[in-house]
Parts: sequence; C-alpha cells; structure tokens
Amino acid sequence: MAAETEETEDQEYESRVGASYMLSRLLQDTTARISLILIAIISGMALFAFVDAEFLDYRLAETYLYHPLRNNAGTRPLLPPVGLSNQFGDGVLAHPLGTDTRGRDIAVRLLYGSRIAIQIALVSTTIGVVVGTTVGAVSGYYGGWIDDVLMRFVEILYSIPFLVLVIAFMAAFGRELIYAMIGVSIISIPIFARLIRSEVLSIREETYVEAAQAAGVKDRNILLRHVIPNSFAPVVVQTTLQMGTNILIVAGLSFLGFGAQPPTPSWGQMLSIARNYMLPAPWFSVWPGLAILITVMAFNILGDGLRDTLDPRLEN
Amino acid sequence: MSHLRYTIKRLLQAIPVLIGITSITFLLINAMPGSPVEVMLGPTASEELIAAAEERYGFNQPIHVRYVKYILAALGGDLGRSIHYGVPVTTKILERLPVTLLLLASSFAFALSVAIPLGIVSARRRNQPVDHGSRVVSLIGVSTPNFWIGLLLIIVFGYHLQVLPSNGLVMPLTPISEVEGATSRLDVLVQTVRSLIMPTIALGTLQMAAVSRIERSSMLEVLGRDYINLARAFGVKESVITRKHAFRNAQLPVVTIIGLQLTSALGGAVLTETVFNINGMGRLIIQAVRTQDYALIMGTTLFFGVMFVIGTLLTDLTYAYLDPRVTYEGED
Repeated sequence: MAAETEETEDQEYESRVGASYMLSRLLQDTTARISLILIAIISGMALFAFVDAEFLDYRLAETYLYHPLRNNAGTRPLLPPVGLSNQFGDGVLAHPLGTDTRGRDIAVRLLYGSRIAIQIALVSTTIGVVVGTTVGAVSGYYGGWIDDVLMRFVEILYSIPFLVLVIAFMAAFGRELIYAMIGVSIISIPIFARLIRSEVLSIREETYVEAAQAAGVKDRNILLRHVIPNSFAPVVVQTTLQMGTNILIVAGLSFLGFGAQPPTPSWGQMLSIARNYMLPAPWFSVWPGLAILITVMAFNILGDGLRDTLDPRLEN
Repeated sequence: MSHLRYTIKRLLQAIPVLIGITSITFLLINAMPGSPVEVMLGPTASEELIAAAEERYGFNQPIHVRYVKYILAALGGDLGRSIHYGVPVTTKILERLPVTLLLLASSFAFALSVAIPLGIVSARRRNQPVDHGSRVVSLIGVSTPNFWIGLLLIIVFGYHLQVLPSNGLVMPLTPISEVEGATSRLDVLVQTVRSLIMPTIALGTLQMAAVSRIERSSMLEVLGRDYINLARAFGVKESVITRKHAFRNAQLPVVTIIGLQLTSALGGAVLTETVFNINGMGRLIIQAVRTQDYALIMGTTLFFGVMFVIGTLLTDLTYAYLDPRVTYEGED
C-alpha cells in the first residue's frame, strides 16, 4: 500500500510513512529488536512443530528429539530438570526441563505447545482484523442506521465476558481447535471494529476524502484505497498487542479444558496437568507459564515499540 | 437532574445489549448437542420418557416461543431450575454472586491502590530507575496468565512456606461454627483476609499492570501541558502540581481502562476461582457448561452481562463526575 503511494507521489522527500521507514525506526529500539528476534524464534518453533505434527506424523521429533505424545522408553515420570537435586540420576541432561507425569520430555512438549498458541492466536487475530476492520470501516464511513445496528451488535459482543463467550461457543459446537479459533476471533472483532470506526470517523472529514467523493470515486474504493490504509498504523499496533492477548486467552481456555485436547500438548493444558502435582513437582508448573509469559511479553514489547514508531504524537 | 436523566438514558441503552446477550446465549445453548431433557434423564431413558419430559418442560416448542417465555419469566425473577443442582437458578446465583463480587472488589482495590501511585511516580520520574522498574513490572503483569500467578503463589505461600490457605474463600458472614478454628467473628474476618490475599493478587495483577501503564502515559501527557508549565513558572511545588492540577485531569483515560478491564476481570475470575477452588460465579459457569445445565448457563451468562452493564454505567458516571466538561445532552 505504502509503496504504491510513494511511486505515484512526490519522491523528492524521504518518505516517513513507508513500511521500510517504519521498520528501520523500529529496529533502532533495542527492546523492540529483541522482541522481534524472540517472536521469530517462537514462530519458527511453532512452524517446525506444525509441519512435523500435521504432515510428518512427528517423525522429526522422534528422530532428533523425543516423541511429544509418548513416553520415551521407560523414562521416569516427573524427572526433575537439570540443576535440581535428582535422586533418580538417569537421563538428566537428556531431559533439560524434566519429564511430565507420563515420562514425556517437557522441553519437547513446550516446543509442540508453541504451535497451538501461535496457530490459534494468528488465525483468530487475522479473522478479527479482517472482519473487525470491515465492520468498523463500513460503520464509521456510512454512519446512520448502519452504524447504529453494527455498533450495537459490536457492543453486545463486547459485553459478554470473553471467556464465557468462547466457553459457551465451544460447548455448543465442540472442543476442537477450529472452534477455539473462531471463538477467540469473535472476541477480537469488536476491538478492531471500534478502533477502525473511530479512525474512520476522523478520516472521513479529511479534505482528500471529500475530493475523492467529489471526483465520483465509488464508496467502496474510497474505503479500500483511502480510508482503511490511512487508519493502518493503530491497527498494526493493536494487531500485535492482540496476538499477545489472544495467546493468553487460548492458554486460559486450554487450562480449563477447552482447546487442544490431550495428548496434543498446549501450554495451558500442561499447566492444568501440572496443577495436580504442585507438591511433588513444583517446577512442572513453572515451564509452561514461563513460555506463555515470554511469548506474550515479546508481542507486547513489539506492540509498544510499534506504537512509539507509528504514532508521531508520542515522539520525543 | 441531568445526572438522573443521563443515568436513565444509559439504562435504556442497556436493554438492547441485554436482549442481545440473552439471545446469543440462547441460540448457542440450543446449538449444543443433546437436549436438556436427555441430560436430565440420562442415557438409558426411553424415547417415550424423553418425549413426555420434553412436552412437560416445553422443549418441544419452537425456539422463539421458548425464548420469549424465558425472557418473560426472567423479568419476573424466574430463571428456571438448575438440572444439576435441583434448585432454582436464582438461588444458586445469589449463593455464589457475593463470593465473586468480593473477589472482584478486592482485586480492583488492590490493582488501583498499587497502580495509581506506581503510575504517578513513574511519570514524575520519567526514565529514572523507578520508572524503568515500574514499567518492567507492568509489562510482566500484562503478559502473565493470572492462573499461572495463582499456581506459583500456591506453590510458594501455600505449600512451601505454608503461610496462606490455598483452597477456597471464607466469606466474612460465614457462621462462626462453620469456619475451622474460629471462635469469634474476628477470627472469621482474619480467615477471610488470609484466604483473599492470593486470589486477589492473581486476579488483580493484570488490572494493576494495565492501569499503571495508562496512569503513567496519561500523567505524562498532562504534566507536559501548558498550564502545568505555567504553574511551574509561577514556582508552584511539583508535588502540589501533581496533586492539585494534574491528577484529576489525568484520570479520564484511567477510568475508561478500568471499565474495559471489567470484562477481562470477569473472565479472569473464572480462572482464578478454578485455581483456588473458590465456589463463585466463575466456577459455577464452568460447571454449568460441563454438566450441560442449560438454565444455569443462561442464568449465569445473563448475570455476567448485567454486571458488565452496571460496570460500564458506573464508569460513565464516574467519567462525568471527573470531567465537568462532559455534557449529558446532545451526545451521540
């Protein structure tokens, strides 16, 4: 989008809106850089796990690591991680984070759990952005009764506590992953709809939109080519932050048993198992939570960094 | 007068929202596999028995008829009977509601009492160690799942140090005889406070972090305004500026965030109550879904919706109180 406008418009000035400009400004920030690297690593892990689980039937895991769903040939259950007093003495270094109640390697299960977190968060955030942006843009641009109806609906979605909404939704349709994705995306829709609507309301009054209208440009084209691209910045920021929020929601759902079903590992579900072994194996409760914390924090830092970069009002 | 009119207007606006919440929930429940009667009678019940029971409870009627009947009954205070517990839904909710309200109130009190000073100090000492520290704390706070905080607290304070109870919540008005080791009302209250500490921290941390982030940025913005600089130029002390001139004006975005945090806190209550085995509304709704207790799911969702509507209403009224410029007329 940005590149397009650059070509057609005055090229003498250094662009301060292009994606490359944004990226270079963002990369000047050390914390943002670290968060980008973290997100890249976690996404890489998730992609690896996704490919291995969906297409290779865990062949990569079995060859190079451990099978995440099965006990590895007589490994002790609840083997403590490296560094903790280990009276069993076997396979300490082979299982750096210890093993779970069925003798499965926790590190490998965390790796495969990243897939669930990233997959659901990514799909649901994307649906949220696309649908929310459309609803918000239409609502804000046309106003009137369309706005009233759409916004009331958005308000309703907003008013049902999200966890309750998704749980009711999953109880109705099923506990499979796909319903978790749809459920979580329903939560994200109102957030983007409201955001875009308020942006559109101010952009609608801009002279260039008026000019386009006067020139007879169709409403649909004005929305797609002028209004939505100009409200791009806050959406990018919110998308990043929403990824983090959605990962938290997915973890909560899995913790309650609504999400990836065993034996498929997910972080929230690992915590709900660990919860029953807090006394003999407290460290078991630490790892999955730490994984969630690091991932969500990476998205939050990136979102903050993007906001500082994209919002010139906060500059100094 | 205008306060009252505004309140009434807001209450009227809440009606379509509540209708929406109930109809969405109603539709979702009806989309669930199996009918409530089948759940009630068990898998061994004969076809005739099921048909007879459906007839008796009106489940054979079309969905819109049942919906209207439900709403009319709900308006009269009748939310139906819980299949699982065998008592009226309202009885069950009224039994559980105070628990969740106590938990929410205490976690918001915790969140605000920590977040507001933290945000202000952070803003006043921008880019100093205090600011960095508090920003890191709030960043971790918004990124941590509350049930995990709960688990860690239980491991450390409940199991390892054994200083706090990790199970259940003692209500302040529980009969003395029912509370273990209590001989007076004071003992019960002490138990209440002790059992509230960990769930409060678990549930309130997210709110605390979110509010302190907003408090900081809002204070920063206000402290950079011209009238504040003018006050500085006149030699007004910085503490007086913060207290008298900046604080109130900086609270508007904070109030908005608190209102928005309410839904996430209600959702968080579900998780916190599960972790600490607290019998509140959150656990009730999970149990209702697990046991396919239709009337109970409807009732609890409706109550959550009502709580949210009241919460946003309070937010708006606080907003108007804080900012005299907010007018009640000519909005929308």
